[in-house]
Amino acid sequence: MTIRECYAALGGDYDDVIGRLRSERLVQKFVLKFPEDGSYALLHSSLEAGNTEEAFRAAHTIKGMCQNLGFTQLADSGSALTEALRHGDAAQAAALLPKVDEDYAAVTAAILAFKESNGL
Amino acid sequence: MDTSRRTQREKILIVDDSEMNRSILADMLGEEFDVREAEDGEAAIGILAEEGSSFSLVLLDIVMPRKNGFDVLREMNRTRLIDDLPVIMVSSETASDQIEQAYELGATDFIMRPFDASIVHRRVLNTILLYAKQKKLLGIIEEQLDEKEQYSAMMVDILSHIVEFRNGESGLHILHVRTITDFLLRKLLKKTDKYAFSEADISIISMASALHDIGKIAIDDKILNKPGKLTDEEFAIMKSHSMIGAKMLEGLTAHKNDPLVKRAYEICRWHHERFDGRGYPDGRKGDEIPISAQIVALADVYDALTSQRVYKPAYTPEEAKEMILGGKCGAFNPLLLEILSEEFSSLKEAIKDETGRNAGKRDIRNFADAMLHARGTSASDRTLKLLDYERMKFNFYAELTEEIQFEYVFAEDLLKLSPWGAKKLGVTEELVDPAHNEALCAQFGARWFEELGELLAQTTVENPEIRHEFPLAIGGEERWYDLIIRTIRSDDIPPKIDSAIGKLVDVHDVHTTLMQLKESSIRDPLTGLLNRTGVAEEIAEKLKGFPEKQYAFAVFDIDEFKSANDVYGHLFGDKVLCEVAERLMHNTRAGDVCARIGGDEFLVVFEYNVDLHPIIARIFKSVCGKVGPFDMTVSMGVAEMTEKNEPYNEIFQKADIALYVSKNSGRATYRFYDASMVGKIAANAADAGHGRILADESGADAPQDQEKLS
Repeated sequence: MTIRECYAALGGDYDDVIGRLRSERLVQKFVLKFPEDGSYALLHSSLEAGNTEEAFRAAHTIKGMCQNLGFTQLADSGSALTEALRHGDAAQAAALLPKVDEDYAAVTAAILAFKESNGL
Repeated sequence: MDTSRRTQREKILIVDDSEMNRSILADMLGEEFDVREAEDGEAAIGILAEEGSSFSLVLLDIVMPRKNGFDVLREMNRTRLIDDLPVIMVSSETASDQIEQAYELGATDFIMRPFDASIVHRRVLNTILLYAKQKKLLGIIEEQLDEKEQYSAMMVDILSHIVEFRNGESGLHILHVRTITDFLLRKLLKKTDKYAFSEADISIISMASALHDIGKIAIDDKILNKPGKLTDEEFAIMKSHSMIGAKMLEGLTAHKNDPLVKRAYEICRWHHERFDGRGYPDGRKGDEIPISAQIVALADVYDALTSQRVYKPAYTPEEAKEMILGGKCGAFNPLLLEILSEEFSSLKEAIKDETGRNAGKRDIRNFADAMLHARGTSASDRTLKLLDYERMKFNFYAELTEEIQFEYVFAEDLLKLSPWGAKKLGVTEELVDPAHNEALCAQFGARWFEELGELLAQTTVENPEIRHEFPLAIGGEERWYDLIIRTIRSDDIPPKIDSAIGKLVDVHDVHTTLMQLKESSIRDPLTGLLNRTGVAEEIAEKLKGFPEKQYAFAVFDIDEFKSANDVYGHLFGDKVLCEVAERLMHNTRAGDVCARIGGDEFLVVFEYNVDLHPIIARIFKSVCGKVGPFDMTVSMGVAEMTEKNEPYNEIFQKADIALYVSKNSGRATYRFYDASMVGKIAANAADAGHGRILADESGADAPQDQEKLS
């Protein structure tokens, strides 16, 4: 699996990210780092604890990272969730969360596949 | 941009709660800059508090836990770090109010996520370079301002010390008054918003306070230093010192609008007024007395009480305070009295500190020496040298260009001239009230200044420059000058003209040459008559008089001119042409236009009233006649102007056709044009089988004849 194929699998835009970051090495480095980021876990834990403010920041961070990395699909669903949480709309956030979970799962699965196929 | 020359790497602080986001930025910039990271606003504030000034730039996220980006900006505003340390926001926030808020809090730039590596790099670099440059410039300006102020302060000190020595005061009085004035001003500013002073105002008022007694320079020694009580008469003289001081300052016409001089004037004149209106010289009351003078009055009294004088011992500070508060030594602004009583201990401290600090500098000569020596190797000395060098260079070039360069400042009514210009005009390099300067009025005319003002009024903010060429009698001889002026306007709304700079350049030679060139381009050099170009120009204007006036063209050429040339030589030919010109000039009127329009072909255009024929007969007769051995005759064709706006060329062609006809009629005659001539010529031309109409034996201007056919 190439990094480009990985992007196709996770619903991202490789041309966009390589156009901005200029280096395949850097893109790969950050892609591999993505699953290690704690924001997704924080999003869930703070939602469970009913801390909308914290959840907003976590969603916001996820959205920002995905925008930087060109993970278009997750950036979009993350962005919608961020806006719902910004306005403290818990019901809408709950409705939007499954799509974020789904996109996040797709991203991590693709990254894992990429990692394994390249023996990283 | 060359960044390799910067020996020390710039430090950047990256603030973002996402480790990955920080890492992306750090990777982009790490090669070139030292990167510090902070994981949230609180950490950033901590780092900035400790080593904020070591950073060259902050990259700041907005949404973060424990203090967000705005909190960081607010803190940087509070500590004023934001003035020196540029902040670029990096965020995926797209709401315009968020971006607006970031800018309002002093962010320099805003980079939207997702970002482009090269753009981040470029913006970071540009921002750092821009700030570095600004810092450097600020440094230079501050240094020079500081220097200027120090020199002014030194001059004020010297001046006030002269007065002090005469007064037999301790030498510390001036210093104390200044310290107390500065102290009271600052406290007053804190206590009330009734008066608005900037830092610069405080500095100027304090400096001006040193001049409060300069009027005493004019008071007799015997009165000034009399140990006993003054008589009423003596006291009256003594009291005049406040008005004398004010008058002295008022007399400084060139500087009368300078803030220092203005403040010093207030202080000199009114520092003996009383808040209850019982003071002198004007008996002003309450806040009619400028606050600067009110403060200096109190400072003066306080220090006089606590110092020993010829007529009294020194009181302790506490005694002095009680006397003043008890109203025993004058009437003062209650606000100032409150300050005196509330802040008394810190006032005593301030005076003690200042005295200590300046003890070694009491002798003004030591003080000046110290100042001059201390700056021997400083950067500002180099700046001064560079300025001197620039000035020398400027003067040198100004000298070489032989221009009268000048600068006029409205507020001071002061005209400054370049050394060469001043010499040329026979005046000094700096002139106050130049409008009434005799030498200038003599050379420029009595109204010159108003006229200049009218010129300046034509300039605008967009077009601040104006040029004007006119003759002037500078140094007695009238020559042409080119005046170039640029006005400089204030930032007021609407802007007013602060000053004007410019130069007066002697363009006489250029001007004369141009006029000569213009003249030669329209005149025939041999005969001095107009040439083709000249006559066309001259006539176009004249012909506009039609139909109120009537005009006729007479074109003629010299019969057998070519043979005359061949037989008697070209010099003789020239002589003939000149003779024709001469005869024409003598036999036409001043308003008539005579021209040599080619080889031996001449044109006369003139205005006539009723009958054209006698005029033509006269001209024809006057031109014909022997020139030396040559029995000269001419052939002439005449045409009248017949319709409005008839072009010069068309009338000329008609006359030329008539000329052709008269040639064909055996020469030495004249013909008047009529339309039937055209058909005849065409027929003749067809018979002859060639394109030339006119016989060319006279050497007439060939191309012109061809024009006629086409």
